Amino acid sequence: MFFHILKPIWKRKFKNLLLSLEILLAFCVVFGLALMSARYYQLYHLPTGFVLQDVWSVRMLSSGGSDKKNDPIVTENFQRSLSALPEVEQVGFINYSPYSNSTWRSDLFLPNSKSGFEVNLTDMADETPGLLGMKLLEGRWFSSEDEGRAEKAIVINKKLADSMFPGKSAVGQLVTDNEPGSKESKFLRITGVFEDFRNKGEFMAPTNFLIRRFSRAAEDERMEVVLIKVKPGTSRAFEEKLNQQLKLIRSDWGYRISPLAEMRKSKMTLDTVPLMIMAVIAVFLLIMVGFGLFGVLWQNTTQRIPEIGLRRAIGASSRHIYQQIVTEQLLLSSIAMLVGMVLLIQLPLTGVLGDAINWTVFITATVISVAAIFAISTLCSLYPAWRASRLSPTEALHYE
Amino acid sequence: MLKNYFQIACKVYMRRKLFTAINLLCIVLTMVVLLVVTAILQATFFPTGVEGRSERFLQIGTITQVSKNKTWRSPLGYKVIDQYLRKMKTVEKVAAVTGPESVSVYQKDSVNEIMMRRADAEYWQILDFKLLSGRVPTEEDVKQGRFVAVVNESTAKKIFGSAAVVGQKINTGGQQFEIIGVVEDVIHMNAFADIWVPVTTFPSSQYREQYTGNFNAMLMGKSAADLPLIRDELLQVVKQINADQPTHWDETYMWADSKLDFFARGILSHDKLADSGSAQLLAGVVFFMLLFMLLPALNLVNLNSGRIMERAAEIGVRKAFGASNRELVKQFVIENILLCLFGALVGLIFTKLTLIWLSNAELIPYLKVDLSFAVFSYGFVIAIVFGVLSGVIPAWKMSRLDPVLALKGAA
Repeated sequence: MFFHILKPIWKRKFKNLLLSLEILLAFCVVFGLALMSARYYQLYHLPTGFVLQDVWSVRMLSSGGSDKKNDPIVTENFQRSLSALPEVEQVGFINYSPYSNSTWRSDLFLPNSKSGFEVNLTDMADETPGLLGMKLLEGRWFSSEDEGRAEKAIVINKKLADSMFPGKSAVGQLVTDNEPGSKESKFLRITGVFEDFRNKGEFMAPTNFLIRRFSRAAEDERMEVVLIKVKPGTSRAFEEKLNQQLKLIRSDWGYRISPLAEMRKSKMTLDTVPLMIMAVIAVFLLIMVGFGLFGVLWQNTTQRIPEIGLRRAIGASSRHIYQQIVTEQLLLSSIAMLVGMVLLIQLPLTGVLGDAINWTVFITATVISVAAIFAISTLCSLYPAWRASRLSPTEALHYE
Repeated sequence: MLKNYFQIACKVYMRRKLFTAINLLCIVLTMVVLLVVTAILQATFFPTGVEGRSERFLQIGTITQVSKNKTWRSPLGYKVIDQYLRKMKTVEKVAAVTGPESVSVYQKDSVNEIMMRRADAEYWQILDFKLLSGRVPTEEDVKQGRFVAVVNESTAKKIFGSAAVVGQKINTGGQQFEIIGVVEDVIHMNAFADIWVPVTTFPSSQYREQYTGNFNAMLMGKSAADLPLIRDELLQVVKQINADQPTHWDETYMWADSKLDFFARGILSHDKLADSGSAQLLAGVVFFMLLFMLLPALNLVNLNSGRIMERAAEIGVRKAFGASNRELVKQFVIENILLCLFGALVGLIFTKLTLIWLSNAELIPYLKVDLSFAVFSYGFVIAIVFGVLSGVIPAWKMSRLDPVLALKGAA
């Protein structure tokens, strides 16, 4: 049976080559889209590691951008007078806001090795992890007891702890922020391990993350952002009052206030734009492939009317003809997709795109795109097959 | 001869209307996608309207400073523009404007985020804003540091509820400005903003001493022919800047670019090379368009190969009377190109509709792209490329039909 179907396909190999090339290309397009959506879906369901409910971010911009010095009195003043507002529950400094476009990357070294670990990092005051509702897995958050120590206190995420200290506890370990032995390298002490902090939101790939302690009293550089946890139910009208309060402290600075929920919304829109564009293009291409396939199959069956007539004459039922045409198309699609898979499986095998393509995502994408192509091939072959199966043998044999 | 081909093509395409419709649909879909992209790129690289004088001015967006193992890339500081660029001999006008920065505006009970630029008086002379009411800041306004502002139409409506806002006060970043003019919404790279205020209204005068900051510069020559001279003189000026700067860098780079160069330099990060890589960028765009065309072209190839058989008898007769393979290939490719051109024409209508929809849907704020003559001619070129790409293989197959079999109609 199988070979009976393969034979007519092989007989028309040039035409089928072009047809399967088209299916192969369409498969690659659907696969790309499915891969991207699957990855987005996967990332969306990972914990971000913080709670954004009722948290507002205030960016403090000094004019000209040169005023980067931390003035302990001003910083303390911000902390105190903002906490005093009745709508405010907690206040915490951070050097750049979650859901912003900033990234800060550096390398982290073990004291006795020259190979570094790439990390994303941020600075936070003692209050900030609590304000953001972050989850601690081991050890403790940095706090006022770390004030004045020789080594700066840091906390790291689980991913970094697992790769830097496999099999042992990271708490209490010393690491350096520059290559050990170089002049600028300073020691950092790990006080705790937290779950994760995906500060760019739901679509950020998990990375090694490091949070350094910001000391209000002793730091050289000021923090640009202060996060404020407001009482539940506080409306945005509070923004103006907040702005007035901020102006009382430093009138020459500009303040950009926005709830994290708003920042999340715009960041999500921004992140999904490439996916949307790709989806629109893929849909365009698929519609085209669908029409094309339909036309080609129609023509093919028309050309094969004598053949079909002969088969009917020697006893094939109309159901057999119907099956033959649909199966032939599905077989052709399968061959094309098999070739496509041989090419695409190189992606996770060689690991060119790193973590972005893991096996879960790859298999999901494969299932989705194979199903989509089969669905299109079946849909497009149904009508031509039905038309061919309806021919009466006498008509078909006389067809010229 | 062409007329003959045209008549035959019409007859053939009218014979099987369903397949012709499918063919056309595929062509139109492809053309619409490619033409929308082309129209947007055209409006970005060769703008008309507010930045219509683009061929006469160059822009500088970044200054790149390099030491042994450090590279610092940043927009310009005002000092670079004021003390160095304004003193260049080959330029007619130099404008300084900050990049758009988001600011909050408090009006009554509502808070709005809008994009603000601080600009000097020349900015308004180089760019052709369409003024709806009031006036734009003059040199006097800028020199005196008056707190005046120009807003665009959407912002006026958003904040005040009407476009008649000249004379109203607006509060932003702790400063109060009087609105003196309302301009039309625009999105172009130098013109895009919601509110413009004079550069002299910065709370402190620190910005005057900075080599790096948040400024862009536009250098306008008397004519397009001056631009190479400006580029040459800039090289000397950059050397001077590098020598004068208090924090010593080994090398400083600054390039005056046209729109296309500017984008190419940004995308390919040619910060340290005189060549912006615009040729590479264009080659990339063409490559992606061809790649996008590949699938629709294959689709058309498949459809067309099927249709050859409809014409076996015709081919048999032509061959029997001595038509060469080359003539047949030529005929079929021309027929296909004709169909593509027709598809392109229909595609242009749909492109126009898509662009109107894009402007109204406000997916991209203030986007207004229209079909121009250039886009029209690009569409022509794209259609011909597409026609050849999708016509050659079926034509070649057709021409190889054995005349004996073809005459019998049993190929």
